[in-house]
Amino acid sequence: MADLEIRNLHVRIEEHEILKGVDLDVSRGEIHALMGPNGSGKSTLASTLMGHPAYEITEGSITFRGEDITEQEPHERAKAGLFLAFQYPVAIPGVSVANFLRMAINAKRSGTDTQSGTGQEPITVKEFRNQLQHAVELLDVDRAFTSRHLNDGFSGGEKKRAEILQMAMLRPDVAILDETDSGLDIDALRTVAEGVQRLHDEQGLGALIITHYQRILHHVRPQFVHIMLDGRIVLEGGVELVERLEREGYDHLRQEFGASEAGAVAAGDGSG
Amino acid sequence: MRLAPSRPVTAVAEDGRAGRAPALSTAGAGAAVDNGSAGARSGATGASARAKSGAHREAALYHALAGRGAGDGRSLAELRKAALEAAAAAELPVWRRSGFWTTSLQGLKLEELDAGAQPSNPGTVPEVVARTLPERARAGRIVQSANTVMAVELDGELERRGVILCSLEDAFRDHHELVAPYFSRRLTIDRHKLEALNAALWSGGVFLYVPPGTVVEDPFEVVYAIERAGVAQYGRTLVLGAPNSEFRVHEYDLGEDFDEDGQSLHAGAFELYLQQGARCRLAQVQDWGSGEVFDVSTRFVGVGRDAYCHWLPSLLGGRLVRQHLELAVSEPGGEMAFRGLFFTEEHEHLDAFAVDLHETGPSGGDVHWRGAATGESRASFEGLIQIDPGAQQTHTYLQIHSMMLSPKARLDAIPSVLVSSDDVSASHGGTVGELDEAAIFYMQSRGLDRPTAVRVIVEGFFEPLITELEDEPLQELVRAKVARKLAAAREDIEAYATSR
Ligand SMILES: Nc1ncnc2c1ncn2[C@@H]1O[C@H](COP(=O)(O)OP(=O)(O)O)[C@@H](O)[C@H]1O
Ligand SMILES: [Mg+2]
Repeated sequence: MADLEIRNLHVRIEEHEILKGVDLDVSRGEIHALMGPNGSGKSTLASTLMGHPAYEITEGSITFRGEDITEQEPHERAKAGLFLAFQYPVAIPGVSVANFLRMAINAKRSGTDTQSGTGQEPITVKEFRNQLQHAVELLDVDRAFTSRHLNDGFSGGEKKRAEILQMAMLRPDVAILDETDSGLDIDALRTVAEGVQRLHDEQGLGALIITHYQRILHHVRPQFVHIMLDGRIVLEGGVELVERLEREGYDHLRQEFGASEAGAVAAGDGSG
Repeated sequence: MRLAPSRPVTAVAEDGRAGRAPALSTAGAGAAVDNGSAGARSGATGASARAKSGAHREAALYHALAGRGAGDGRSLAELRKAALEAAAAAELPVWRRSGFWTTSLQGLKLEELDAGAQPSNPGTVPEVVARTLPERARAGRIVQSANTVMAVELDGELERRGVILCSLEDAFRDHHELVAPYFSRRLTIDRHKLEALNAALWSGGVFLYVPPGTVVEDPFEVVYAIERAGVAQYGRTLVLGAPNSEFRVHEYDLGEDFDEDGQSLHAGAFELYLQQGARCRLAQVQDWGSGEVFDVSTRFVGVGRDAYCHWLPSLLGGRLVRQHLELAVSEPGGEMAFRGLFFTEEHEHLDAFAVDLHETGPSGGDVHWRGAATGESRASFEGLIQIDPGAQQTHTYLQIHSMMLSPKARLDAIPSVLVSSDDVSASHGGTVGELDEAAIFYMQSRGLDRPTAVRVIVEGFFEPLITELEDEPLQELVRAKVARKLAAAREDIEAYATSR
C-alpha cells in the first residue's frame, strides 16, 4: 500500500469538471514527476490533495498512510505529513519566516484538535535554531532571510526558496511541488532542486514534482514519470518519458491520446 | 490579505495640495465642513470655533485646540466656575460628519452617574489593574480609580533628581509655579458639555514632571480605572518634559468587566508639553471592558523646538468612545510620529479624530493608523494633516489601513489634508482589506487551523505598529488583547468568510 493513494479522482470547480478520474500512488522515498501542458489540471490536483475548499471532489478518494483524507481539513493533512509547495506562494505580512515556521512546527507537534498530531512538547529554542541553520544552509539563503516577513516583497526566486525551506523544516512524508522550478534562474533552480534531492536522500522524502519543463529533472532524477492531459493521466513510465517529451512535445501526445486541440487551447488560458 | 491601494478611503483633499490662502479656501471649504469642524460643531454650547490668539487662521482651517485655560492667567477656581456655567448651558454632544456618521452621547444617563464616586476598595489597587499591567521595571506609577488617586509610587533616585509624579490636585498646591502656566494651556473648557464637566469637576488627576536633561529608561505608568456602573470619572493629566529630558509614558484606561446594568463615563483631558529637545514615547492602552463605559476624551501633545514625540494609542474597547487627539509641532525643528491602532467588536462604537498639526516649520510628521472591526461594531477614524500658514518646510505623511472582519461591522477611514504653506509636502494613502482566503489556505497547508490562521493575519496586520511600541511587556499586552477579541469573534469571522 502506497503512502499517498489517489483513486479515480474527479474534481469540479464552478461547474467545470477539471480532473476526470486520476489514479496515482506516491510513497516515501519515491520521486515522481507529473508533467503536462498548461491547463491540464496539475495545480488542481495539487490543491485538491491539500484540501482547498474551492475544489469539489465529485468522485473517488484520497488515502494517506491508510487513512481516507478525502474530507479532511487542510491543516489535518499537513499534520499527517503532507506538504504542498505552492506555485504562487502567498504573502503573510507581519509574520517573519522564522516565527511562522515555529508556529507551524508546534502546530504539527501539538495534535490538539486531531489524532494525527504527536502530542509532543513545543520545539525548544535550541532545537529550532539548529534545524533552521541546517535548512538555511541547504537552501543557500542568508540567515537574515528568516527575519523577513513571509513572502512579503520576496522575489520569485526567494518565494520558491522559502517554500523549500519550509518543507525542510516541516519534514513531510510526501510533498507536492507545484512548478517550483518556474521563474527560477539556473543557479536558483539548481539550489532548489538539489535541496529536494537531499531531503529525499536524508529524510526519505517522497515527492510529486509538478512541472511542464524538463529543466528541473536534470537535477532531480525521478523514478516515475506521469503525463497529464486534459484532467487525466495518459501516460506513465520512467525517466525515458521525459526524453520522449523533449523530442516530441505535447502536441504529439494530444493526437495520440485524443485530447481535443480546442479543449487544450482553452485550457491553456488557465492559471498555468 | 488583499490590500487594494486606496480603495474607498474618502479623500477630501488630494495628495500634497499646497496653496496660498485663496486657493485653500476653495480646496478646503468642503473639507472644513466635513472634517475640520468637529470642535466647532460639537455639542450645543453655541460656542463657535475660535482662532488662536495672535495668529490669523483661514476660516476654512480646522481650528486647533486654542487654549483658554490657566495659561491665560485665570485661577483654578475661576476656571472651574466658568466651566460649570458652560456645562449647565450645554446639551450632551452629538458629532456628525458626512457619510451618515453620527456619534451621539445623548444616550448617556448623566443624572445616574456619580462624579464623586470613590474606588470600590479604597485600600487595594483595582483587580483589573492588578491583572492587566505587566510585571516590569518602571520609573513610577499612579493609579486613579473613579475620582480618587489611590496609589502613587516613584523611584526614589528619580525623586531625588527632581522628577515629580503626584496627583494633579496635589501638584496645584505643591508645585503651582510649574503647573499653572501649562494647565489647560491648549485645552478648551466649553466646546461641549462633557469637556466642560471635566474642567469643572475633575478631582485626583495626574501630574508628571521630568526635569531638564533627565533621561529615564523605564516607563511612567498612568492608570485610570473604572470598576463598576454609575461612575462619572473626570480624568485630568498634565505631563511636562523639560528641555532635553527623555522618558516614556504608558497610560492605561481600564474597565472592570462589570455586568450590572447601568453606564459609566470616562471624560478625560490629557496634555503633554515637550520643551526644547525633549523626547517622549507616549503609549496608551485603552480597554474599558465589557461594561457599558462611555469615553469622551481630548488629548493634546505639543512638541517644542527640536523635540520629538512618538505617540501610539491602542484603542481596544469601550461601548462608545470619542477621542479627539491632537499632536502639534509648535516650534521649529519638532518631529513627531503619530501612530494608532483600534479594534472594535460587538456593539462598540469608536469615533477617533486625530490631527497632525504643524504650526511652524521646519517640522516633520508621520501618521500611521491601523484598525479592524468585528461584530456589529462601528469605527470611524478621521485623520487630518493641517499645515498652518508659515509652517514652511514641513514634511508629513498620513496612512490609514483598515480591515473588515464582519459583514455587519462598519469601518470608515477618512484622511484629509489642509495645507496653507507652499514649501511643504503632505500626502496620504491607505488600504482597505478583508481576510484573504488564499493566505488562510496557505497557512492551513502548513498545519495551522483556521482560527489560528485568521489570528496570524490580523496580528500581522497590526504588527507593524505593535513593533513600534518598542517595549516587550506592552507589546505582549496589546497582542493578547487583539487575540482575545479575535477569539471572541471567531464564529462571526467564520460566518463572514463563508458568506463571501
Ligand atoms: N479557481 C478556478 N476557477 C475556474 N477555473 C479554474 C480554476 N482553477 C483552475 N481552473 C481551470 O482548470 C483548468 C486546469 O487548471 P490548472 O489545474 O491550473 O492547470 P495546470 O496547473 O496544469 O496548468 C484550467 O482550464 C483552468 O482554467
Ligand atoms: Mg499549475
